[in-house]
Amino acid sequence: MNALKAMIRRELQEHKWGFVYLPWIVAAFMSLVVVMVYLGLTEVNTENFKFSTDVFSDTKVVQQMNEATFDQRRAAIRAGLLVLGIPLVIALGFAVLAYSLSTFFDERKDKSIIFWRSFPISDSFTVFSKLLVALVIAPLLVIPALIFLHLVTVTAGSIYFAVSDIVPFTWVWQAYPWLDWIRIIFSLWMQGLWTLPIITWIMLAGAYSRKPVVAAILPPVVIVLVEGVSLSSSVFFDSLVERVQPWSRAGSFPKEYDSPLGVAELSDIPLLFGTTEFWAGILISFVFIYLIIYFRSKSDYATVE
Amino acid sequence: MEQNTVIKARNIEKKYAGNSALASFNLDVHSGQIMGLIGPNGAGKSTFLQAVLGLVDTTGELEVLGLSPNKSRHELLKRVCSITDVAIMPRWMKVGQVLKYVEGVHPRFDLSKARKILSNTNIKRNSKVRTLSRGMIVQLHLAIIMAIDAELLVLDEPTLGLDLSYRKEFYSQLIEDYFDGNKTIIISTHQVEEIEGVLSDVVFMDQGKEVMSGSIDELNQKFLELRPKAENIEKAKALNPLYIRTELGRPVYLYENVEADRLEDFGEVHPPAIADLFLAVMKKNKEGEDK
Repeated sequence: MNALKAMIRRELQEHKWGFVYLPWIVAAFMSLVVVMVYLGLTEVNTENFKFSTDVFSDTKVVQQMNEATFDQRRAAIRAGLLVLGIPLVIALGFAVLAYSLSTFFDERKDKSIIFWRSFPISDSFTVFSKLLVALVIAPLLVIPALIFLHLVTVTAGSIYFAVSDIVPFTWVWQAYPWLDWIRIIFSLWMQGLWTLPIITWIMLAGAYSRKPVVAAILPPVVIVLVEGVSLSSSVFFDSLVERVQPWSRAGSFPKEYDSPLGVAELSDIPLLFGTTEFWAGILISFVFIYLIIYFRSKSDYATVE
Repeated sequence: MEQNTVIKARNIEKKYAGNSALASFNLDVHSGQIMGLIGPNGAGKSTFLQAVLGLVDTTGELEVLGLSPNKSRHELLKRVCSITDVAIMPRWMKVGQVLKYVEGVHPRFDLSKARKILSNTNIKRNSKVRTLSRGMIVQLHLAIIMAIDAELLVLDEPTLGLDLSYRKEFYSQLIEDYFDGNKTIIISTHQVEEIEGVLSDVVFMDQGKEVMSGSIDELNQKFLELRPKAENIEKAKALNPLYIRTELGRPVYLYENVEADRLEDFGEVHPPAIADLFLAVMKKNKEGEDK
């Protein structure tokens, strides 16, 4: 247990910008935007999403808010928080991507693998600890920043609604889905498992290649091109796209949601375990993990010049 | 296995792409020895030490501290400390982070001892490794080694690429502060001069085989160097020296199994330097192969 703690601590120390600071930087920026919107200093206006206080000047909207049931309020709050969380999840995705690419490459490049391998830690355990960081710890570290962002947003909104006589201060807090934090973390962990074939593929490129970016990108591109030219199909490309989508939005997922902002519930997770695609991904990932362990065990004196 | 035998190697073989890195290699290392594996590049020194650490598969019988390195590598590394390059450490880490990491992963590491050793240096716990000089990195590495209660220390060309002053400092500190007679050290190097005064035993290796081995005391009895006076050069030659070299224009003869009493009449007699003995043995070995 001490060893695992030490190894996780080491990973977080090395990748503190991606895993520790980045979520807070994004959350702080998003919080600032939210507060500025409620102060009337700015507004967010995109093709799919509008966030502005102008909407509350419409008496119909205010009336709808006052008449909203608990479930309607909760659904609206959830949708808002989901949209707010997207930049954080994207940042997490990039942090895990960068980590996967560099974690086995950098130790060969700076030769520190010689130092790490001089201690009584097996290659399998090292690979396990790095996967644990990417799949379990990194999503956990996003949660405090997400909670901060949620609370700033809900507090700012509550104050604005109360001061502007739209709805009472408690309107939001009564319907705030407190248990969503648990749902979010489980959802992120499931996303890690769903995307595991891509994560382990990228890690593998870093474990054996001198040019990991090329080794990670080139083979899939070649497969996509060969399949497209020879079979006129795009099965491989489509499955890649599926893997980077939210797991609950994958084509193979048996449930469909009413709206694009409908959130996957904890009870939806077993549905994912029931799909062949999920287990096929896990199986492929195990092959990649085996190869990562193999290459790391053979690279005791190898370096990247 | 004898109680004090730390490494027992019998008929160890290893081939890379058909070429023998180790060929019927045998070695016994006992507790308290400082064993030097000496040989040119490609002699098989590193391959053998990698086998000792369970990093490469070999055929033959190999036991380290009573364990099979391949089957029990994890268990073995709890009792063995190994360094391949003392100048390599993760550059992004702070000194304090390195120590905490080692404390977490090595059950025999004494953090307070390492901190005490470092308190006698200019190395600050908050300093990043990348800001340390090479000499300081060597000191940090030494502090870690000295704080690990290992039964066997494996050093594979540990000072390769370091300046002479750092190399000397590394070995002198290693012997003064680390070695206590209960520990065992095995060192591979092809820079013989730097470890000459450190070793208790040597094995000369070439092409994966042992060319000669013995304790320094035995070798000092068996081999002698003679700087003959000018008038005795012909008489010295007549005693069939194993190897002849020149030093400041004067010939120096190396003899095997010739009594010191016989040589002392011809000039100044002393035990040979390991480097000179190595060259002599290698030359003799090559001549034997040519015949």
